[in-house]
Amino acid sequence: MADALTRSMRASHVLAAVLVVAALIFAAVGAAIDDTFYLRLGTEALIFAGLALSVDILLGYTGLLSLGQALYFGLGAYLSALVLMVTPSFWAAMGATLIAAIVVGAIGGFIANRVRGVYFALITFGMAQIVAKIVYNTRALGASDGLIGVPVINVNFGIASISSASPVGFFLFTLAFIVVLYALAAYLLDTPFGRLLIALKANERRVPFLGYSTVTPRLTAYVIAAVIAALSGALYPMLRGFVSPELLFFSTSGNAVITAVTGGVGTLVGALYGGILLTVLKSVVGSYTEHHLIVIGLLFMGAVIFLPRGLMGIVRPAVERWLGGKVVP
Amino acid sequence: MMTAALEYFQFVLAPQMLIGLVLGVAVILVALGLTIIFGLLDVINMSHGEFYALGAFIALALASIGLPFWLLLLLVLLMMLPVGYIVERGLIQRVFHSGERHVTTLLLTFGLGLVMEDAFRLAFGPNPHKPATPIAGAIDVFGVFLPLYRLFLIAGGAVIVALVALVVYRTRLGAMVRAAAFDRHMAASLGVPVQHVYAGAFAFGVALAGLAGVLLAPIYSVFPTMGRDFILMAFTVVIVGGMGSIAGVIVAGLLLTQVQAISSLYISPVWSDPIVFGIMVIMLMVRPQGLFGRLGHG
Repeated sequence: MADALTRSMRASHVLAAVLVVAALIFAAVGAAIDDTFYLRLGTEALIFAGLALSVDILLGYTGLLSLGQALYFGLGAYLSALVLMVTPSFWAAMGATLIAAIVVGAIGGFIANRVRGVYFALITFGMAQIVAKIVYNTRALGASDGLIGVPVINVNFGIASISSASPVGFFLFTLAFIVVLYALAAYLLDTPFGRLLIALKANERRVPFLGYSTVTPRLTAYVIAAVIAALSGALYPMLRGFVSPELLFFSTSGNAVITAVTGGVGTLVGALYGGILLTVLKSVVGSYTEHHLIVIGLLFMGAVIFLPRGLMGIVRPAVERWLGGKVVP
Repeated sequence: MMTAALEYFQFVLAPQMLIGLVLGVAVILVALGLTIIFGLLDVINMSHGEFYALGAFIALALASIGLPFWLLLLLVLLMMLPVGYIVERGLIQRVFHSGERHVTTLLLTFGLGLVMEDAFRLAFGPNPHKPATPIAGAIDVFGVFLPLYRLFLIAGGAVIVALVALVVYRTRLGAMVRAAAFDRHMAASLGVPVQHVYAGAFAFGVALAGLAGVLLAPIYSVFPTMGRDFILMAFTVVIVGGMGSIAGVIVAGLLLTQVQAISSLYISPVWSDPIVFGIMVIMLMVRPQGLFGRLGHG
């Protein structure tokens, strides 16, 4: 008999499948009318959804609000750009990003996990600010201009290869990549380790009484989130051909938090829907007025006040009912 | 040898320290509201920088209809109080009682800050406005050329900080605030109107930020994102000083701005931000409660 968590995650998977189908239709239409702009925008939405996914792992499962996920996103983006400028190999860029994210994530996690609650939010914020300012002032990393001229690459799978210059090809690749990240996160959170994280969120003091360490799972969750953020970020220079220090700024971290909260924390799939919702909103509202931040800010405030479980807080219980079984709120 | 050291102090160190002092007073004014709000309500006010900007923009609008600067100081303070009160009762109280108060209030004020910043851009345009300096002229202090207005800012800031400390530590109102910060349930059962104290403290905190906005506008100009750069420093000061501590804000505010000012003599000033944030992170690691205890706690 599946418990409430498994059932609700099953609903998340259904919603993720719906998203994939919708994205495939979007890609087919985009390819048919030979569109570039919207496919590129959709790809960017998916990349930032990956960043929001990492925020959700920390906030929704472990109960840690990170205001500095841009640190890892930017790390991935810069490292990937640097590697690609030396050798245009997708796997080299991803491998380097993965290793760096684990190392930096472990260091960052060690520092940040010394404190709890609001201090955790501030320490992650501070760390990201330090790195952002250092990159902003380092000539070798392009300083305020960022790194431009990242070459177009071919993602080589042995049997087939996808060019990052192809709008529909790279969109589909990014979709697959983000879905794999989602599946990986969902799998990890369904293991006993994942249950331990949820227990930590619920009551950290009682967890040691059950014989578990609280330090290791917190650090592991932090590193996993760092890796997901960095791998998402590594896709950015492949899409845009450049990286800018803005990727490291607080606005990037803040947007990821807005995305995760509006989409629905603790659902994983909410981050993906949130990413798409926010990108659509930005481009739709942005076509009428340049003041889209007012709309997004109000929407976000409304979500915090009226929908603490976000968009998925309304949608997912309905899916659960449809899947059958009692819904435990 | 001795004269060389003296000359170094007079011509290199002292001017830099005076510049740091002006910035220090400015940061203290902003951080003071932040720390009171945290000390009492346990709320990290992410929109504090935007309230600082709001004060400056209100002053800008009022000055355009010809009101004198000195009247503006009072008017902005009076206008910000109801704004802060309404924000606390209307918005913050809605999420205040949820289990994850820290997170929800932080997110809510973060959203509010975004909306306010864009609203300023909508109403006043993205470009900076520079109000005229209310006190013209400059004098020599230790051979340092110092505009009179900055001198006034240091003195005025010191008076404001002293008044705030006096109210918090020496009046009945301040005792109620400290009691509510120490134990809200106990304070409430002893007849302290905790709801109003909370809303009042929030209003007072953001009004202080607004006042700082008016005072600093002639030096740093007025523009929609003016709160951003400043608030980072204010947060650092609050963390290093101890969140919710008034004495901590004063000590950390003076200390950190001096570190920033003096370090920029020896290394490029662009590195002063990473240094200050580094201090913040190290402080959070080794002593997250900060240098001093919290409001109402000892």
